[in-house]
Amino acid sequence: MRFVLTTRYAQDVALFRHNGQRFWYGLLAIALLVAPWLMTNFYVGEAAMVFIWAIAGVGVMLLVGYTGLVSLGHAAFLAIGAYTHAALLRYGVPLPLALLLATGAAAAAGALVGYAALRMTGVYLAVATLAFERIVAYLVEHGGALTGGVRGVAMTQPQWFGISVIHSHFFYYLCLGVLALCIFGAVNLLRSPTGRAFVAVRDSEVCAESMGVHLARTKTVAFALSAALTGLAGALMAHKIGHLVPEAFGVNVSIQLLLLVVVGGLGSLHGVVFGAIFVGFLPQILALARDQLAAFGVDRVPGLEVGAYGAILVLFLIFEPLGVYGRWLKIRAWFDEFPLYRKATYKKQKSYLRTERVH
Amino acid sequence: MLFEARDLSIRFGGVHAVRDVSFAIEEGEVFSIIGPNGAGKTTVFNLISRFYDPDGGTLAFRGEDITSTPAHHVAELGIARTFQNTELFERETVLANLLIGRHVHRRTNLLKDLLFLPAARRQEVAFREKVEEVIDLLHLQSHRRALVGSLPYGARKMVEIARALCTEPRLLLLDEPSSGLNPEETEDLAFWIEDIVADLGVTIVMVEHDMNLVATVSNRVLAMADGSVLATGEPAAIQSHPEVLRAYLGGTDEPPPAVAEAAP
Repeated sequence: MRFVLTTRYAQDVALFRHNGQRFWYGLLAIALLVAPWLMTNFYVGEAAMVFIWAIAGVGVMLLVGYTGLVSLGHAAFLAIGAYTHAALLRYGVPLPLALLLATGAAAAAGALVGYAALRMTGVYLAVATLAFERIVAYLVEHGGALTGGVRGVAMTQPQWFGISVIHSHFFYYLCLGVLALCIFGAVNLLRSPTGRAFVAVRDSEVCAESMGVHLARTKTVAFALSAALTGLAGALMAHKIGHLVPEAFGVNVSIQLLLLVVVGGLGSLHGVVFGAIFVGFLPQILALARDQLAAFGVDRVPGLEVGAYGAILVLFLIFEPLGVYGRWLKIRAWFDEFPLYRKATYKKQKSYLRTERVH
Repeated sequence: MLFEARDLSIRFGGVHAVRDVSFAIEEGEVFSIIGPNGAGKTTVFNLISRFYDPDGGTLAFRGEDITSTPAHHVAELGIARTFQNTELFERETVLANLLIGRHVHRRTNLLKDLLFLPAARRQEVAFREKVEEVIDLLHLQSHRRALVGSLPYGARKMVEIARALCTEPRLLLLDEPSSGLNPEETEDLAFWIEDIVADLGVTIVMVEHDMNLVATVSNRVLAMADGSVLATGEPAAIQSHPEVLRAYLGGTDEPPPAVAEAAP
């Protein structure tokens, strides 16, 4: 077990707590930078997709994992980002500006939904956001030339210094860079008053308010930020999809995003990465499973994939509510404390009676 | 006068939870509110915290009317509170819990936080310094990095008081600070309360059932029953006040013998 001697308060807000972390994260960075040169183009593309999932995952995590607001409508923000990005590129807006504007459009939509849903939490909020997702889906289907309706719209793939955006290596580094920036921003938020306000709202609204946290503003900001990151992921995803159709942003994408944060581990940014790897490679795993099921003749059952998503979500909620990252913490604690590890350390504590809600 | 409530009233449906309650709190005193269960003590606290809008009456803090101030602005004015059953962030460390108490003093905006500009870093360090002062005052050093969820109840109560102090309040509202504490911890609490008043110059209003604690630390006591004020005065006078005795112990139907009004 490592004990860090803290001699300055600034150490507590440092990005890396000790040299061990510096070493491992440095190694990870190098590995990620050289990886595309060691993989086939197919896997470079799949890795980029994992990064995109992770970008959206950071957004969903900020909202669901840190602010405690459940959303089933994040596919809508993905769609808003993607379609805005596509339209802007069609009109010749340069790629970085188009990405920024797409992010901004999603953020604006997020702020609007967040503000409208201020008084809702839990299931009610989930249903309200689901309704928002259906509204956006309807608008996309009837968007005329802007969205191409149900027939969809082809994505403009601009050139960048003579390289197409979707050149596998270029796209890999683009997504990796954007993801790194997003994680950096999220870490910054979480070590400053804004992030603490999110967590305060999640754990006790009454208390947050009595500590001077502006509930309405905090929730709206959380929604806007979450939508912005999801929109950014949507814009990048649009390049990957190539031809945008409404089905690409259905409810099951919202569920996949929720699956991502739950499987990864609610309330941790590490969890986002684990979750993104899981969700990114799940289609391949399911395709393999489908091949196996063919032997029993049940591989053509409709809704097999959505069913699998739901089943995994439920299994995680029952057996490992802290997700993959929570399991990793437990394994690490086991080695740290060997042979004194106590299972009860991670048992849910008896919670004392809570103050009645006053709103 | 630091705080004044005048003719405060609130109804919940048919229940007249607080009716025409008036009191004034002087700077630097410990003011206790006592009364049997359901007397409306916590409701008075929730009115002061602005969680409830009063149906009638006014609240004034340092000469300023706060009857319609939004709840999240009350802490900024200098009123902090604790809760009867503790409202801590249980999955966070004690430090993280105390840092939220500094929220009213934040000077950074979303953008500065997002980029963690030097101003944000300096602010975090300054917040930590202030938090450490409170940790020193209340002897919470050993719990600094512990998860609140793993602390015993007595320690949680102290963390909650510490968090309220981190806002640097002028007025501190303690809702049953001794509930769930053992006699020894309650005795310590009396010392802490005296320290908070003496060292930090904070004025304290507390709702409390432990009459020993009330008698030890309070300058004045307000007794309530059924939403109304029974009497206000020195702890000893209140403890022997016939109306108060009747509210706690019950009494005969005949009117109580006339006694001199307790000194205000």
